[in-house]
Amino acid sequence: MSGAPFSLDGFRRGARDGVPLAVSIFAYGVGFGLVAAQAGFGVGKAVATSAAIYSGSAQLAAVNLLQTGQATLWALFAAILVINARYLLFGATLQPWLWQAGPIRAYGSLLLLGDANWLMTMRAIRTGEEDRAYLAGTGAPIAVGWLSGTALGAAAVSVLPRPEALGFDLMLPCFAAGMVTGMVHSRIDLLPVAVGAGSALAVFHLAGPAPAIITAGLAAGAVAALLHRGEA
Amino acid sequence: MTDSFPVLLAVMAAAALLCRVAGFTLMRFVPVSPRVEAALRATPLGVMAGITALAVQRGGLAEGLALAAVVGLTLVLRSDVAAALLGVVVVAGLRWAGL
Repeated sequence: MSGAPFSLDGFRRGARDGVPLAVSIFAYGVGFGLVAAQAGFGVGKAVATSAAIYSGSAQLAAVNLLQTGQATLWALFAAILVINARYLLFGATLQPWLWQAGPIRAYGSLLLLGDANWLMTMRAIRTGEEDRAYLAGTGAPIAVGWLSGTALGAAAVSVLPRPEALGFDLMLPCFAAGMVTGMVHSRIDLLPVAVGAGSALAVFHLAGPAPAIITAGLAAGAVAALLHRGEA
Repeated sequence: MTDSFPVLLAVMAAAALLCRVAGFTLMRFVPVSPRVEAALRATPLGVMAGITALAVQRGGLAEGLALAAVVGLTLVLRSDVAAALLGVVVVAGLRWAGL
């Protein structure tokens, strides 16, 4: 079962690729720290939240919900399930590749899974990355950036510039735009791109950003499966 | 809200963990045919296109121009990471200029 390579080399390769993303995740972490501090979280609580949930969008929603003062445990649970439902898709797409590293390494790597390093790892798999430690490698600098950013934001709420002023809020879309451009190699790749963009926009109006992103992935996958001919 | 913070944290962490492992675990029981593989390969393309499209739609002129610049720079520089970082510089500059 654990025939696939899982080496320090692969981890290092992932970590190197993860550093540019970690810079933006650090800034995003500062943003979450600022929000958490304004909601009355101290540094300890803010960092604990970032470590336990480890998903910016879900944490922001949770803090907003807690601020209303009417959040029940079930409401919090449900909100995070809905916002993080895209991770179901992320895990499913990684499974055929990652499972070959064996269960402990595979599930351990999933703890470091996020939007940015999922994209990065899927791109690496496409270009032939065999070392399963690559995923954990990309996750390591991102985790450091996320937790240290949260701590800084929560501690220094009044003296920091807003991350928006520096353009960091657009970092993930910029990476997405760059990676999708780099990953389109033939005309047939343009179809999932168009379907993803179109379905995201359509669903966004009806149901908001989280369902829009999930729908984009599902619709692109469905179109590719439908168009697949036995011999490509 | 009467629950203590550790209880809240445990509930939120459980929900996040469930999302992380459930799709992966379910996929273990799906045989990966070439058709399924084609779907898995196309999924990130759809997600990335969706993220980009929403950012363009929600943003203004500065965001649209910066993301268009990223697409162009990726083709020219042949490095998506460099293009993405330059895109952030572009949007920061355009916002600073008041766009």
